[in-house]
Formats: sequence, structure tokens, C-alpha cells
Amino acid sequence: MSPFAIVLSTIVFFGSLALIFSEKVNRSIVAIAGSMLMIIVGKILGFYTEEAAIEAIDFNTLGLLMGMMILVAMLEPTGFFEYLAVLAARTSKGKPIRLFVLLGGITTVLSMFLDNVTTVVLIAPVTILISEILGVSALPYLVAEAILSNTGGAATLVGDPPNVLIGSAAGLSFNDFLVHALPIVLVSWAGALFLLQYLFKKELAKRPRRSKAVMKLNPAETLNQPQTARKILIVLGGAILFFFLHNSLHIEPSLVALAAAAVALLWVQPDIQEILKKVEWSVLVFFGALFIMVGGLEHSGALSLVVGLFSKSSGISPVLFGVLIIWIVAALSAVVDNVPITIALIPIVKGLGETGMDVGPLWWALVLGAGFGGNGTIIGATANIIVASLSEKTREPITSAVWVKRGLPVMLLTCAIASILYALLYRWL
Amino acid sequence: MDIKSCMKRNVFYINPKTTIHEAAEILVKHHIGLLPVVDNEGIPIGVIGMRDLLKLELPDFVNFVADVDFVHDFGAVEDTRPPAKTLQKTIKSLMRPVITAEEDCGLLRAYALMLQQNLHDIPVVSKEGKLIGIASRVDVGSAILSAWGKAE
Repeated sequence: MSPFAIVLSTIVFFGSLALIFSEKVNRSIVAIAGSMLMIIVGKILGFYTEEAAIEAIDFNTLGLLMGMMILVAMLEPTGFFEYLAVLAARTSKGKPIRLFVLLGGITTVLSMFLDNVTTVVLIAPVTILISEILGVSALPYLVAEAILSNTGGAATLVGDPPNVLIGSAAGLSFNDFLVHALPIVLVSWAGALFLLQYLFKKELAKRPRRSKAVMKLNPAETLNQPQTARKILIVLGGAILFFFLHNSLHIEPSLVALAAAAVALLWVQPDIQEILKKVEWSVLVFFGALFIMVGGLEHSGALSLVVGLFSKSSGISPVLFGVLIIWIVAALSAVVDNVPITIALIPIVKGLGETGMDVGPLWWALVLGAGFGGNGTIIGATANIIVASLSEKTREPITSAVWVKRGLPVMLLTCAIASILYALLYRWL
Repeated sequence: MDIKSCMKRNVFYINPKTTIHEAAEILVKHHIGLLPVVDNEGIPIGVIGMRDLLKLELPDFVNFVADVDFVHDFGAVEDTRPPAKTLQKTIKSLMRPVITAEEDCGLLRAYALMLQQNLHDIPVVSKEGKLIGIASRVDVGSAILSAWGKAE
């Protein structure tokens, strides 16, 4: 491979990344332009073609994301998310700590199977409602919801976009995630919940002025389309069942998600224009364009150069290497989007695997780092940005300083727990 | 017919240095919904409505939840008052841009303006731009409807 190709493809890729991280231009626009530039440069220098670019796109990732997006788009208007939040409020009887655990728990479970962002977008407004009628600050609940949904999302194949990417690239099944990621995430999640309760103990100790008001909220009234909600939940349940089985049935998770979306669409027959409008096309396009860019890096030989550098430093033990990956990826994810980081690291880990290194454990290190790192700063994860921008329209905005005080300790704790468990679990590998 | 013929000439107004609390007291005392804010020359530079003041007390969730019908008890927000510090701020910090009608503005034009801009009252100004009156939707609407009997 010509050094010229390596240099130019690297410039295109890192130039695009820099522009994405500067947030001066929309990330999807940058990615589209960057991917086209990569193909043009590749054609001129002869290292990349249109066919190779199409091949570089991981349609399994895109299909899985799109299928789940359609299901969520259909579930959203039924009021199911609001129903759960109101139910949590009633069950808590207005006791702050109970409400804290219940809302955090619901958000976590939902975001293990559905998109974090949608979950937070739909739960956060009701959270503000509940805390206002209780007469307590919404801040602890909102911060905890974002952080716990980021943490919980790391547990499953479908919980978080980086997991979808890693699962697809490494051929990891839904059950692989349940065996390898879920236990570590559960312990880290419990640690995060306890730490958050401690960090917010002053706010949570304040007694609500009107705890009886939440008992007058009627969950059934928030569920404005109970029939539709029931249908979609049945389909979603079926999809989760097939996720458990997809590996033994030899079907891709994307087929499960898209087939579930098809069944739900047929059964409910909603206004398709409205549903498709809610699919986050900009996210799908962003992913597709990033795949094309990384494909260019791969074809130019830039990635094998990096792989070579890494494998030369293989003097360090694999476990230590994994722990390092957790912390480095987490640190990067705290300040920038974890999707481009994951997409860029996947071919490198793959390449290391081809040199004979056992990279099985490294995939889990990548999952944990990308999943937990986003908690560190207010811009670390989209869920954080969502609750922050929502709270900006209230009397009590979440500031960057607040997040550093509450989120950063959680990120450090969860990464520490994950590192210890990772080292213990993979010591013998 | 123009708006001058149906407007109220006895118009209450304030200046930008009036505090939010004082503005609220004037609205309550005269049982009105809108106060034009005028400068030293009597030219309107903004308005403050009852809804602007009520917004200070309205809970945040009303902006986020499309339908509040399922909230049967607003609980703690029912007895929340805006902080005293907010009430002592001047009206300049809260007032909205003013939309006025000139005294010779036709009634249908005035009504359409109010409908489109979602105004319940419209301040009326003289040719020199000075505040001379105020007309409500009912003032303008009644004036329009009263002409029906005289048709043909």
C-alpha cells in the first residue's frame, strides 16, 4: 500500500472526526461529506471503490437499529412510557428514595431493550411533573435516569448503538451479552445507584410537601391507546424471545428486529408516514457514512499500520490491555460521541485478532468502556444532553458543573468495578 | 367604521420601571388583562399581559406534557408563589413586543390582526404613535356585529 493513500485516508477520517467533535457542523452532514471524499480520494489513488464502500456498510447494524426505531416510534404515542412513570410515582407513595429507585429502575430496564434516548425523552417530562406536584427538586431524578439508562444499556446487544456495532462485527449473540456483559453491568449498575443516592442524599432527604397528590394520578388515563400498546408489547416480547434464540436458529438480530417491526406494522396499521418520520434517519445515515469512512481506512492500509503498532507492544498482559481499553475508551466517550470511537476501534481489535491475539475479552472491554464513559460529562451521552436541555427550560437547570460533581464519580466507580470484575473473570484466559 | 369609534379611551398603562408586583396589582385593581408599557413620550414600547405574569407561577411540566388531564391534583405547585426577588424585578425584563393599531384602522383589519397574533386586547395609537386607547376582542367584535342590523 502506498504511504500516500495511508496519509490521505487518515487525514479525511480524522479531519471529519475533528469537525464532528467541534460540533460546528451537524455530525451527519460531516459524515456524508467525509465518506464521499473518502471514496473520491480512494478512486483517484486506487485503494477504494464504490463497491468496496457499499461492502463496508454493516447493514446488520443499520437493520437492527431501524427495526427497533420503528417499534419505539409505534409505542411512543400510546402513552406506555408515561404510564410506567406514573405507576412508579404511585407505587413509591411519594417517598423520594423509593421514587428514585423505581424511576431509575424503569428507565434502566426500558433502555436495556429500547433506545436510551427515546426512553429518557419520554420519561423525563413525567419525572418533572411528578417532582413538581410533590414539591421536590427534579434534578436528582433526571440525572439518575440518564446515568442509569446509559449504564443499563451496556448490558444487552440491543441496549446501546456501540453494542449493536460490536455485536455485529464480532459475531456476538444476544446471549453472549447476557453471559459476559450483563453480570458486570448489574454489579456496576447497583454501585452507580448507591453512589447516586449518596451524592444526592441531601436532596432526597427533603420530605415532599404534598405526597398525597401523586396518589391522585391515574396511570390508566395516561395510556391513551391501550389496545395498540398491548399489541406492540406482545410483538416486542416476541422479538426479545427470538433475540434469545437467534444464535441457535442462525438468524441475524437485524432480521428479528425488522420482522418484529413488520409484524407490528401489519397488526396495528398506523399512519406509516408518521411512523417513518419518527425513525431517526440522521442516526442511520451517520452510521452508514462512518462505515464507509472506516472502510476507506481499512483499504488504504492505515488500520493495519495501527494494528501492527499495537501487536508490537504485546509485551503487556491481555488482561491489563483490556483494562486499559476500558479506561481509554471511557475517557474518550466522556468527551466525545462513543459511536465513531467504537466504529474506529472495531477494525483494530479485529486486526489484532488476525495476528493471533485472543481478542474475545477485548470486545467486552470495549462494550464496558463505551457504555460507562458517557456518564462522565454532560455531553458524554445523548441521554445526558436530552435531560440537560429539557431542564434548561425549567426553573432548575442542570449545569455542566452539577454533572461533573454527580456523573464523573459514577463513571469512575462503574469503570473501577468493571475493571476489577473484568480482571477477575478473564485472569485465566 | 374605525377602531377609534369602539375603543376604550380610559386606558391604564405603566412605564418600564414599574415592578412586576406593581403591574400585578394594577391588573387586579382594575380587573383587566393587558397593560401597555409606554415611554416618557407616551409611545408604547411593549405590553405585559396577565398570562405573562401567570407564567411565573405555572409549573414547568405544563410545557412538557401535552395533556394534563390525568393530573387530578397539582399538589405542591398549587401553593407555590414566585420568589419575592422575581416580583421586585422591573417590567422591562418581562414585557413582550407590542402590536398596535392606528386610530383609523378598520374594524375587520383590527379583528384579523388580533385573531392572527392571538391578542385579546390591542392598544390603539394616534398618528404620532402615542397611546390613546385600547380595544378588546369584544369591543371590536360587537362593533362589527352591531352593523348587521343596519344592513341594506
